[in-house]
Amino acid sequence: MQQEIHVPKLKLGKRKIDLFPIWIALLFVGLVAGAMGAYQVLTHGLTVTGLSNQVPWGLWIAVDISSIALGGGAFVLGVIVYILKIKRYENIGKLAVLIGFLGYSTAGLVLLFDLGQPLRFWHPVVFWQVHSLLWEITMCVVLYLTVLGLELFPTVTDHAFFQRFPFIPKIAHSIHRFGPVLAVVGLTLSLLHQASLGATYGVLAGRGMLFSATVPVLFVFSAVGGGLSLLFLLSALVFRTMRPGLVSDKVMRELARMAGGMMLLYLYLLLWDWAINFYYSFDAQSSLQLELLKSVSPYLWSFWIGQVLFGALIPGAILLSYRKGGNLRLRLLAAAFAAASVVIMRWNYNFAGSMAYIHYAPFVEQVKLATYSPTWQEYAVATGVVSYWLLGFSLAVRYLPFKSPEHH
Amino acid sequence: MNDLTDMKQEEAEDTEEGMSRRKFLGVAGAAVGAITVAQITALPLLGKNQAGHGSHGLHKWGMVIDLNTCIGCNYCTYACQAVNNVPDDMQYNNVTTEQTMNGDEYFLARPCLHCENAPCVQVCPVGATFMRDDGIVTMDYDLCIGCRYCEVACPYDARVFNWKENTMTAGSNPNVPNFGYPEVEPRPRGVVEKCTFCEHRIDSGLERGLMPGVDEAATPACVVVCPTNARVFGDLNNPDSPSSQALASHKTPIVLRPELSTQPKVYYIPPADEKEEV
Repeated sequence: MQQEIHVPKLKLGKRKIDLFPIWIALLFVGLVAGAMGAYQVLTHGLTVTGLSNQVPWGLWIAVDISSIALGGGAFVLGVIVYILKIKRYENIGKLAVLIGFLGYSTAGLVLLFDLGQPLRFWHPVVFWQVHSLLWEITMCVVLYLTVLGLELFPTVTDHAFFQRFPFIPKIAHSIHRFGPVLAVVGLTLSLLHQASLGATYGVLAGRGMLFSATVPVLFVFSAVGGGLSLLFLLSALVFRTMRPGLVSDKVMRELARMAGGMMLLYLYLLLWDWAINFYYSFDAQSSLQLELLKSVSPYLWSFWIGQVLFGALIPGAILLSYRKGGNLRLRLLAAAFAAASVVIMRWNYNFAGSMAYIHYAPFVEQVKLATYSPTWQEYAVATGVVSYWLLGFSLAVRYLPFKSPEHH
Repeated sequence: MNDLTDMKQEEAEDTEEGMSRRKFLGVAGAAVGAITVAQITALPLLGKNQAGHGSHGLHKWGMVIDLNTCIGCNYCTYACQAVNNVPDDMQYNNVTTEQTMNGDEYFLARPCLHCENAPCVQVCPVGATFMRDDGIVTMDYDLCIGCRYCEVACPYDARVFNWKENTMTAGSNPNVPNFGYPEVEPRPRGVVEKCTFCEHRIDSGLERGLMPGVDEAATPACVVVCPTNARVFGDLNNPDSPSSQALASHKTPIVLRPELSTQPKVYYIPPADEKEEV
């Protein structure tokens, strides 16, 4: 019944040291830092941040949309396991659900501090404004977090601890029967809000270079590509190193190829989007915005190198070419780059339109520069929520079996 | 034989269980559906225009600012801060120095433009920013969650967030009493604020039979205080109102960023040298 878990240890001569306690202690330091920042924000308000009326969304929103993007593997695996009924993905699907749940709860957590009125976080659920993309995203994320929680429940109750209370795993696995329903609901909600997160920026006509109809599609494709890349990367640790035999090498290779294909598809769309914005269009304001961004930030570098070349093109090709006997480490490196590029893409979208913003004065087209540098409180809260993500992941990976009981 | 009855019994139990589950799902689905329908049908009943597509009331308030007459004294900003209880580091109204195509300087005063097609109204996730029937884009500060999407969406930089607690009293407001007295409650920390065309003056003025734009007590503070009468205010639906008259008497009134189709209700009379070019 119990799956043996091989804990990676640091070899120092003959001694083998388990670094896990040190790692957890480190994460607790991160959580304490986060709590300190959070205390400052909640007592003094958002005045302790570096945000301004010109750059109202900063580091936290970038963390928020990045963690949601990297949770994109969950709904893809949900479809593969429950709708396409491909059994060999069942165990890796549990990891995808875990990553999804952590990503979405991280997003919710960081948003709580970003709101000017944190105690009113529930308002969108009650006071509907159906024309707002942000309303739709809030509803989708709330519902999808519930779906992910239900999907994660059986994985958690598979832990030996719950054998003392057999009714809990029993309830948990009765949810399993609704798997296909949850998968369809999850797919719908995910596609809706991943696209809407892009549209949140895409509808901003007044922000020039963000105003694009392609953004929603870019966000969906990059979330799938980045989410699968991260899943592939972490699967190597969780399954190959710690739980050998649970996930076959074939599944790993297929996963890598899926991620690579998705990244290339996303790149194809991204280049058309770029061409529409900056090549075929003669929008003076967008080009002015780009010029200013180039002068103050590594925007061009982060776009062409971070997003395109080392983000999608090379890693995508490397992941897509993963065949039997291929070099796994190279693919893991490529997956890390692909996942990082999706984060870079989200940061570019969050900052490009507000750092160089189009001025409203008539007659002469003007683009103005805003400044934003996060304060220590912002870094602290960001560190705290990232520590929460890592803590949840570390504990789950160390102690949960990630194995369906049906197999034994 | 025994086996067969057992199986039948099991089958019967299965179907029973299935029925109950189906029933439960049905009830749950109906409940969710009912709530959804109730919410959607309730939307128009809330009496708020949350789509931000135009005003449909009797009045349609609008402002005209003559850029030839504005001397950049900033009195409009100060009066606004006094009357609306706005701290010194926040401004609903803004005056900047800009240049024409010829390089001549002029002053650009910018209140909220109260767009007929207001981006901030469309993006607000809770309907805290909404458009009144008379076209005024205003806020319900009890609903606002402080997400600041309206600030991101506004093409005119007209939204201001309440970053810190408003500890200002009438005594500590530098613009009181020189530019007026507070007429509006201070807002809590963490909401996005905006110019309301002094809706409190318009509403109470109309109740007392005054005409906004004509009677000072019913007219926005920035219009009343302007020493050169660069701003006029009035009902755009009424051809005799000061703002309609000002629009009719100038050939080429403009709006800011017309390419966005936001249809602002604040119009500008361009500086003389720009008019010649047009």
